[in-house]
Amino acid sequence: MARSFQVGDTFTHVRECDVYRPIYYAGASGDFNPIHIDPEVGKVAGLDGVILQGLCTLGWAVEAVAVFVGDPGRIRKVKVRFSRPVRPEDTVTFEGRVTAIEAGRLTTEVTATNQRGEAVLRGAVVEASIG
Amino acid sequence: MAIDKRFIGREYGPFTYTIGAEKLREFAMAVGGAHPAAGTPGEPPAHVSPLLYDDQAAKAGPYGDLIAFPSFAVVFAIRPFATAVADPELEVNLLMLVHGEQELEFLDVMRPGDVMTTTGRISDIYEKAGKQFLIATTESRNQRGELVVKGTWTAVVRG
Repeated sequence: MARSFQVGDTFTHVRECDVYRPIYYAGASGDFNPIHIDPEVGKVAGLDGVILQGLCTLGWAVEAVAVFVGDPGRIRKVKVRFSRPVRPEDTVTFEGRVTAIEAGRLTTEVTATNQRGEAVLRGAVVEASIG
Repeated sequence: MAIDKRFIGREYGPFTYTIGAEKLREFAMAVGGAHPAAGTPGEPPAHVSPLLYDDQAAKAGPYGDLIAFPSFAVVFAIRPFATAVADPELEVNLLMLVHGEQELEFLDVMRPGDVMTTTGRISDIYEKAGKQFLIATTESRNQRGELVVKGTWTAVVRG
């Protein structure tokens, strides 16, 4: 039976950026920018070590909605602003809320906050088909 | 130094990329949180959909094959954007560059064997609050010419 969704439904997805996650993501994505894999370069760039690829954080926002709707193939759109870097050993909590359901498509607003309560994404909107 | 607005409209590509099943699995595991060890992709965490890594489950599923985790698209669709910001004529200071915003639209799923061709162009260059903004838009089509992924990529250059 198809699951039903309502405007106002909420969901939460928690992800930890473990120590090697930027390196794993570099290998999988091809983004080997040294600020993601070399702590010395990160220090020179004023980042106090390496930072996770923003596109991995975007992937986690997509994942939060994919898990909520139960099928990654239903994701139709994602839009984010990267407001703060995620670092190894940070924990990011994604909280989503369904803001619209129209023509078989669900729109969610997603916040992404680190363990210090700081937003790492802003204005994140993810859409998924539910038809 | 300001990026010259005359580069608005400059096109990059086409770039062609063939999607392989193992690369899809690797990407799904890297985003999903698996811990690769001993040359294996690692055990999939419980929240990762079997449609992304399990051949049998995927073939019995709604798409008839493994599918790409949606943001796998960045692996190939980034090419025009990456080429634009590194274009020596634009004189962008890459050390001062950050990825400011990202939008991706998925018109269909991507499967192993799909051959994706991406083209892109610089759609805007402007200055705001002392920072330079460079926007690139991309389109990725599959081997049947169907538009599958649209991207809008925003680079912000400090100072």
